[in-house]
Amino acid sequence: MIFNRLRNSRLMSKLMITYFLLTVIPISVLGFVAYNQYTKSIEKQVGEYIPKLLEQANININNQLNEYRSLPDSLYNANQVIEVLRKDSYQNNSNLFRDEFLVNNYLSKMYMNSGNNDILGVFILSKNRLFTSSKADYSGFQLENFPSTYGENLDLQGRTEFILPNQSDLAFQGDPPFILMMRELRDYENQETLGTIFVAIRLTFIEQAMESLYEDQKPTIWLTNEEGVIIYHTKRDRIGTLDPRFRNYPKINGSFRTTDFNDNQLISTNKFPNMNWYSYHRIALEDLMKETNQVRNGTILVFLIFVILSSVISVILAWNVSHPLQKLARLMKRVEKGDFKVDLPINKKDEIGLLAKSFNSMIQEIEHLIKMNYQIELRQKDAELYALQSQINPHFMYNTLETIGYAVEEEEKEIVSRMVALLGRMLRYSLNNKEKVVPLKQELGHIEDYLTIQQFRFEDRIDFQIKDIVGNDSYYVPKFILQPIVENAIKYGLEANYKVRIKVMIEEGKNNKLIIKIEDNGPGIKEADLSQLNLSFKSNPMIRRDENFGLINVHARIALIYGENYGLEVESVIGKGTTVMIRLPADESERGGEK
Amino acid sequence: MINKRIFLFIIIFIGLFVSGCNMKGTTKDPYQIVYQSEVIAEQNRSNIHADYTIAVVPKVVNIPYFNAVEKGVKEAGKDLDVRVIFEGPNIADSKQQIKIIQNLLDKEKLDVLALSANDPEALLPVLKKAREAGVKVITWDSDTVPEGRDFFVNMVNPEILGRHLMDTLAWNTEEKGDFAIMTGSRNASNLNEWLYWIQKQYEDFYPNMNLVAIKETNDDPHTAYIRAKELIATYPNLKGIIGNSSVGPPAAAEAVNELGKKGEIAVVGLSSPNPMNEYLKKDIAQIITLWSPKKLGYLTVSLSKNLADGNDPYDEQQIPGVGIIRMQNDMVIMGQPIDFTKENVDQYDF
Repeated sequence: MIFNRLRNSRLMSKLMITYFLLTVIPISVLGFVAYNQYTKSIEKQVGEYIPKLLEQANININNQLNEYRSLPDSLYNANQVIEVLRKDSYQNNSNLFRDEFLVNNYLSKMYMNSGNNDILGVFILSKNRLFTSSKADYSGFQLENFPSTYGENLDLQGRTEFILPNQSDLAFQGDPPFILMMRELRDYENQETLGTIFVAIRLTFIEQAMESLYEDQKPTIWLTNEEGVIIYHTKRDRIGTLDPRFRNYPKINGSFRTTDFNDNQLISTNKFPNMNWYSYHRIALEDLMKETNQVRNGTILVFLIFVILSSVISVILAWNVSHPLQKLARLMKRVEKGDFKVDLPINKKDEIGLLAKSFNSMIQEIEHLIKMNYQIELRQKDAELYALQSQINPHFMYNTLETIGYAVEEEEKEIVSRMVALLGRMLRYSLNNKEKVVPLKQELGHIEDYLTIQQFRFEDRIDFQIKDIVGNDSYYVPKFILQPIVENAIKYGLEANYKVRIKVMIEEGKNNKLIIKIEDNGPGIKEADLSQLNLSFKSNPMIRRDENFGLINVHARIALIYGENYGLEVESVIGKGTTVMIRLPADESERGGEK
Repeated sequence: MINKRIFLFIIIFIGLFVSGCNMKGTTKDPYQIVYQSEVIAEQNRSNIHADYTIAVVPKVVNIPYFNAVEKGVKEAGKDLDVRVIFEGPNIADSKQQIKIIQNLLDKEKLDVLALSANDPEALLPVLKKAREAGVKVITWDSDTVPEGRDFFVNMVNPEILGRHLMDTLAWNTEEKGDFAIMTGSRNASNLNEWLYWIQKQYEDFYPNMNLVAIKETNDDPHTAYIRAKELIATYPNLKGIIGNSSVGPPAAAEAVNELGKKGEIAVVGLSSPNPMNEYLKKDIAQIITLWSPKKLGYLTVSLSKNLADGNDPYDEQQIPGVGIIRMQNDMVIMGQPIDFTKENVDQYDF
C-alpha cells in the first residue's frame, strides 16, 4: 500500500524520500553504529587496564599492611618492655608510673620519632594498664572504654585485625582518616597473653598507592571490607560509612558499567590478595569519552549542516524538475482550451530546456497549421464565391440569355437547347460545393461548357481548343482553377483583337507533375507588370490582393494545398499573347493533397 | 497527505534512534560487565577443620620441664582446634617409649606423632610401623636419626647452647678451677650434642679450668641428687657444676645447699625457672639457661597440624603464638636460649 501511495505521490516527494533513504538514514545509522562501537572499545580498553592498576595498587597496599603487621614484633626485642608487660600487680603507684613512663618512652622512640611517618599513635592495653604514644592529641581511647568497646581479652589467636574508621571512638586532632590495627601481644615464652597493641595508621599510604590511578581524569576511588564498609574514599566524609551498593556489585576482578539511561559510570574493582578487602575505581563514562564526545558533537553538527544544505539543494533540484513540469501541465491545459498564445520561457540546455523548446515549437507548428488550414478554407470559399459570382454574374447571364433569345428568334432550336443545357450544367457544377478537388475531366468539361457558351455569343471571334495529351481520367485538381484564367484571356483578348484564340493543353511534366497550359493570343503583359505578377505569387499567399485577384487566388490555393513548388507561372510577349502554366502534382487522390 | 507520510517516516526514524538508546536502559541488570579477569569466589570463613589427632610423646613425664611442654601442647590444641594426646614414660627409657607409641598406634587413629626420643635408633622400628600406618612422624626436643621422621623441631642451635653453657660457668668461676657436668641419658642425642659443644668451648678457650667428671642422671631427680652429692664428696676442689639436662641444676643446687657449699660451687645449666627460682634468689645457683618449653610444646603442635594439612615448615615462617622460626635442612630451630637470673626469674612461669 505504501509503495502504491509512493508511486502515486508527486515527483518532488519521491525525490525527497529517495534522498532521505539514500543519504540521511545510512549516514546516521553508520555514524551511530561506528560511535557505539568506538565507545565500547574504549570502555573495554579502560575496563581492562584499570583493574591491572588497581591490582598493582592493592599489592602495594598489602605489602604496606604486612609491614605494619610486623611493627609490634620489634617490641619483643625490648626485654624491659616485655618485663613490664609481664607484671600484673603493683605495690605502689610510683612503680606503676615508672613502668608506664618506660613503656611510653620506648613506644615513642620506636614508633613516633623514627620509622613510619603514617603512624598516628600506638596504644598497648595490658592487664588494666594503658600505654600510649601519639603524634597528635586524641580522644576516645580511654581505659574506661574497655573492655566494652574492644574487649580486653580479645582472642585473636595471633591474627591481626583492622578496626575501620567508624568502628572506634578514637579520633585525632585534625581528624585525619586512619585505620586501627589491632594485634595480640603474646608472651611466647610463658604462652600467655600480654595484652593488645593498637596502631593507628594514617590512610595516606593508600592514597599514595592509588596515586597512579589519578590521572587527568577525576576518578572516585574507594576501598571497602567484605561488609561494604568504606575504609578509604576519595571523599573523606564517606570514610567509615557503608557503601549501599556494595551488595549489588558483581563480585569480579575486572570492570563493569552502570546501565542507566544516562550518566553512566565505569567501575573497576579488584580484590586484595589474601584479604577480604576490595578496591574500587569509578569514572563517569562522560569523562572517559570527553574527547570522543567532542568529536561526536562536531560530527553531528557537520552532519546536520550537511543534511540541511543537501536537503535545500535536493529541494531546489526537485523543484527545478517538478516546477517546469507543473508549469507545462498548466500551459497544456490552456492550449487544450484553444489558447495558443503560450510560451514556456526556459532557456536551459538540459532535458527540461529541450522539453520546453520542443513544446514551444510544437505549439507554434500547431498554430501555423491551423492558420494554414484556415487560409485554404478561406481561398476555397473565395474561389467558390467568385465562380458563383461569375456564373450568376448578371452580365454573363444577360449576355447568355440574350444570345439564347436571338437564337430563338432565328429559330435555331438546336443551338438554344444546347446553350440552355450548357448553362444548366455550368450552374450545377458551381453549386456543387462539397469537394475541394474534382476530377480533372470535370474541370475541363466545365471550362469547355463556358467557352462553348462564349463561342455561341461571339461566334467566330472566339476560337478555342482543349488538348488533353495525358488522357488520364484519374487525376484530380482543385475546383475553379481554369475559369479565372480563361475569363482573363477572353476579356483582354476581345479588347485588343478581333479574334481570340485560346488553347488549353494538359501535359505531364517531370517528377510526376501535371502541367496545364492556357495560351492566348491577347495583347500580352508588360514586362514590369509580368515580373510583378510572378513575384506576387511567390510572396505570402495569405495576403489578399484586389488586383489580379483571380490569378493570385488560384495560385495561392494550389500553393496552400500542394506546397510552394506548385502554382501558376505566367509568360507573356507584348502583342503576341500570354501563356499561363498551372503546375500541379499528378494527384490521384480525391482529397487533394491532404494525406 | 504527503506531509503526513513524511511526518510518519520521521517519527519511525526517530523511534528507531530512541529505541536504540533505550535498549541499554531497559536491561534488568543494573551493572553490565565490561571486562573480567576472574570471578571472586565467596570465601568460606569456616575453616575446613578435620579432626586431627596429634600425639606428643616426651622423654619422660612428671618433671617440670615436660610439664611445661604439656601446658603449651594443651594450649595449642585448644587454639588450633585439634585433639592432642600427651603421653610419656615415667622414666627416660626408650623401651617404655616404644611401648607407649605402640599402645597409641593400637588405640588411637593418629594423624601426627611428635616424639622426643630417648634413643636415636632404638625407636626406628616402631616409627616405621607408625609411618606405614599413615601417621606422620616428627621429632622435637631430642632427635632420632633422620630416617625416622619428617623433620626435627629443635629448641635452639646446639652449638650456641653448648658453648653458652660453658661460658655461663666460666663467668662464675673466674675461668679457673675444677668443674663437673651432669647429663641425662648417654643415649639422648640432644644431650650428647650439647655435651660435645660444652667440651669444645672448654678446650678452645678455658685452659685454666679442669673438667673432672661427667655424670648421668637418667633424668631422674633423685638419681641426680645422689650423683651431685657424690660429685661434691669426690672432688673437694670442685668449683662448678653444669647441668646438661633439666633435672641436673635443681639437684646440684639442693646438694650444694645441703652440704653448705653455697658460694663455693657455682651451679649453672639447663633448667626451668620455676624449680630454680628459690636457688637463684638465694644465690645457690647463678644462671640457668633454657628456652620456653611451653613455646616448644605449642610450636610442635602447630607444626604437626600444618603437616597434617600438608604444609611443611619453611625458613622464617611466622607461627602464630610462637613467632618466626628458622630452618636448617630438616631441623626447625625455635629461637635463642634465655638466661634466667635472680633478677628476671619471676617473669617466667614454667
